[in-house]
Amino acid sequence: MHEASIALSILDIAKKQCEEAGYSTIQSIVVDIGGASGILPDALLMAFDIVKLDTPAHDATLVINEIPIGGRCDDCSRDFTTDDSFVLTCPHCGGREFKLTTGRELDIKEIEVD
Amino acid sequence: MKINVVSKILEANERIAAVNRKLFDTTGTLVLNIMSAPGAGKTTLLGKTIEMLKGSLRLGVIEGDIQGTYDAEQIGKHGVPVVQINTGGACHLDASMISEALEGMDLNEVDVLIIENVGNLVCPAEFNVGEHMKVMLLSLSEGHDKPLKYPLMFQESKALVVNKLDLAPYVDADPEKIKKDALSLNPGLKIFEVSCKTGEGLEVWTDWLKETHAGHIKNS
Repeated sequence: MHEASIALSILDIAKKQCEEAGYSTIQSIVVDIGGASGILPDALLMAFDIVKLDTPAHDATLVINEIPIGGRCDDCSRDFTTDDSFVLTCPHCGGREFKLTTGRELDIKEIEVD
Repeated sequence: MKINVVSKILEANERIAAVNRKLFDTTGTLVLNIMSAPGAGKTTLLGKTIEMLKGSLRLGVIEGDIQGTYDAEQIGKHGVPVVQINTGGACHLDASMISEALEGMDLNEVDVLIIENVGNLVCPAEFNVGEHMKVMLLSLSEGHDKPLKYPLMFQESKALVVNKLDLAPYVDADPEKIKKDALSLNPGLKIFEVSCKTGEGLEVWTDWLKETHAGHIKNS
C-alpha cells in the first residue's frame, strides 16, 4: 500500500550511489522484495515509473527479484517455502514453532550507472 | 557500470528511527505507537487515558492524520502537549515525520509519549519510528476476522486493546475469537478488553501503562 514511499527510498539510495561513483544516469536498479514485506511488485513498478521522471533514473528499469517466504520448523526440523504472503503454521506438520529465514527482504542489490 | 549495493531500502528510515529512540531514552520517555483502522477509537481512548492518568503520569501525544487538526484539538482540550502531523496523503507515519514533530515537544515534560498513527491496518506496522512498542486498537464492530486478515499488525504489537465492548449485544463479533486468533499469531500479546463509552476495562489498561512505564524507567 505504501509502494510510492518505497519507490522514493529506492530512488534516493540509487541517486546517492550514482553520484558518489561519479556517474550521471541510472540505467537499472535490482531489488529483492520478500513475499512477506507487504509490498506488491506490480504496484512498486508502477510507482517507480512515476517517481523516476525528471531524475537521473528517468530511463531506468527496476528489476524486482521476488523472494518467497521461507522458514525452518522447530517441531519437524524441516525447511519450507511458500508463495503465500503470510505463514501461520508449518506447511509440513502444522506446527506453530518456526522461524522465518526469508520473506521480509526490502533490499537494493545492484545499480547500473553510466 | 554495475555497482553492487547492499542496502536496506528503508535504511534512511531506520537511521532516523534510531536517532528518535536515542532522544526518547535521553529523557526516559516511554513511547508507544498506537495503530488501528480509522474509527476504532484511538483519539477517544487517548482522551480517557490522559484523564485517568492525570497526577500519575505526564502524557504527550503526536497525532498523525492525512489531513486536518481535529484530533489534536480534541487531545489539546485535555491539557497535555500535542503535536499534529498531516501526512498529506501518506498512509503511515515514518521516522522523519516524528523527528520533525519532536521539535515541537519538550520530552523532559513527558513520561509517556503516545504516537497516534494514521488509521490503517496495513502500512503503519511496516515503519519503525523509534517507538519502544507498538500497541494495536481494534473495535469489536470491525469484526472478529481481523487478526487473521491483517496478521502483521497483530504480530508486531506488544499489546492489543479491544474497544467498543458495549456494542457486543448489537454486532455479530465474538471477542473470544479475536483473542484466540490474536494470541495464535502472537502468543506474548497482552490483550485488554475495554469500552471507552462505559469505561469498562479502562483501569486495567491504565494500570498496565503505569507498570510498563515503571519497568521502563527501572531498566533504563
